[in-house]
Amino acid sequence: MTAPRTVVAAAGLAIAFLALPVVGLLQRAPWAGLGSLLGRPAVADALMLSLLVSVVAAGVILVLGTPLAWVLARVDIPGRRLLRALVVLPMVLPPVVGGTALLFALGRRGLVGQWLDAWFGLTLPFTTAGAVVAATFVAMPFYVVAVEGALRSGDDHLEQMAGTLGARPLTVLRRITLPRLLPAIGAGLALAWARALGEFGATITFAGNLPGRTQTLPLATFLALETDPEAALALSLVMLAVSLAVLVPLRDRWLPSR
Amino acid sequence: MTTPALALAGATRRNGFILEVDLTMAVGETIAILGPNGAGKTTLLRLVAGLERLESGSLRLAGRTVDDGASAAAPHRRPIGWVPQDRLVFDHLTVAANVGFSPRATPERTAALTDALDLTGLVNRPVGECSGGQAQRVAVARALAADPTVLLLDEPSAALDVESRHLIHRALAADGKPATLLVTHDPVEAATLADRIVILEDGRVTQEGTPAEIRVRPDTRYAASLTGLNFVDAYARGTTATTDTGTGVVLAEPTAGPVHVVIPPSAVALHTTRPEGSPRNVWQATVTELRPAFDRVRVALDGPLPLVAEVTPDAVDRLGLRPGSSVWAAVKATEVTAHAA
Repeated sequence: MTAPRTVVAAAGLAIAFLALPVVGLLQRAPWAGLGSLLGRPAVADALMLSLLVSVVAAGVILVLGTPLAWVLARVDIPGRRLLRALVVLPMVLPPVVGGTALLFALGRRGLVGQWLDAWFGLTLPFTTAGAVVAATFVAMPFYVVAVEGALRSGDDHLEQMAGTLGARPLTVLRRITLPRLLPAIGAGLALAWARALGEFGATITFAGNLPGRTQTLPLATFLALETDPEAALALSLVMLAVSLAVLVPLRDRWLPSR
Repeated sequence: MTTPALALAGATRRNGFILEVDLTMAVGETIAILGPNGAGKTTLLRLVAGLERLESGSLRLAGRTVDDGASAAAPHRRPIGWVPQDRLVFDHLTVAANVGFSPRATPERTAALTDALDLTGLVNRPVGECSGGQAQRVAVARALAADPTVLLLDEPSAALDVESRHLIHRALAADGKPATLLVTHDPVEAATLADRIVILEDGRVTQEGTPAEIRVRPDTRYAASLTGLNFVDAYARGTTATTDTGTGVVLAEPTAGPVHVVIPPSAVALHTTRPEGSPRNVWQATVTELRPAFDRVRVALDGPLPLVAEVTPDAVDRLGLRPGSSVWAAVKATEVTAHAA
């Protein structure tokens, strides 16, 4: 069908609006000095720290989020609907609110934090571990939703079949459930990792902005904008590249090509 | 008496539907479960597999109680093999990994079944790339490789190509086969494979017996309509199928090779003198038994073909039928069907 011109014009405007900031970033990018900019100690520290925080967060999400997704999809527990809502809450909660909530729960005088401090001498706020906690909190739902969706779209008949053949539950999990879940696990993990890498609000609220300890890429970028716009641009480029690298292979999962 | 492979006496309930069955299977015995849709056939198989639980009664497999209504052994602790209607092959694994999936499958057993079901050329192929018939053969081989005491088959050859159907039937009739519970809609399959037929209607067994017993004496309308068929093996050439005893049966459509000839009892017309006119198949026979079956009478005949005819009580009087009567049985060629064997 032929589209009305006004609709096409509005759509074009929307595309321009979405693409313009990216173009602006690329046009101002200090391509020539990129290597030396990213090599500066402050920038390199932020890069390494972000990599560490996001990878550890992704690991925690994999280990804890997979069983959670499985329970939400397969186990008939009371209040499951409420639990599902709770799990996705960090996706819509303003990250600053998430960080504040973490502070009152895990801070030195927080609900659980006081005991962590008293019993284990463990303090999370303003530490790298705290940055991991903040990143895990905001990114976990992205993983759980992806994996739970995949588990729920397939029923458990193949698992039943494997059981009748004499396979124990753990064998069924290892040979049937997990291999079939691998694409969803990969996609969910990439998504959660990218979200963890870009985490800003909860991190600065809960873990602060300490160079080398909690100052991750987004925080360093925000700070550099005031003092060293070239460095801010370089860091932005890194994060743009990561976003694209995650998006391109996953595009077909979200936007099936016709 | 030796320990039965399966001994079930109990009931289960599912969404208001009640299945109540009393069933014993000897080692190596094949029982066909026939019944209309919704009669509880699949539920019965799932009960034996441990995917449904008994509410009361008990289920024993090879002498061991696996469900007593209070506690039930998990499916992986039961000596069973299950071929469900939708196959449930593991399409992320190869043919070989599927057939050998069970921890009870030995390499020798797996290899023998791979060969018996003609899967040797496909072992490295992902099952997701196999045809429907190949996938069904994988499902049957995988269940048999698990070395089951009781094999549960749910419509194993529905909508299959002739070759796959033949291979599966041959594997199910092989020596040393497990006791087999075969759910089917196909009375021909039931009669070929089963030692006994159990008719299940509305969650209850309404009749059980050998295929011959049910053919002569169907207890319910369903049994009469579905299993009361005359059935004989023959070899077809053109429009004539010749039985093992040398009797020719005229067919409407030409065909070739081994066939199962099926004649519905209602298609067998009885006459006291040789009929004139159109019927192509006419045999002289002796009445051996008369049985009422609802509003009709089933007449067992001994002649060149062992036949059962279904006539009205009126016709019995009019023809003066009694055991020992000599009659002419006539069947139109168009009423005879021949399935490739």
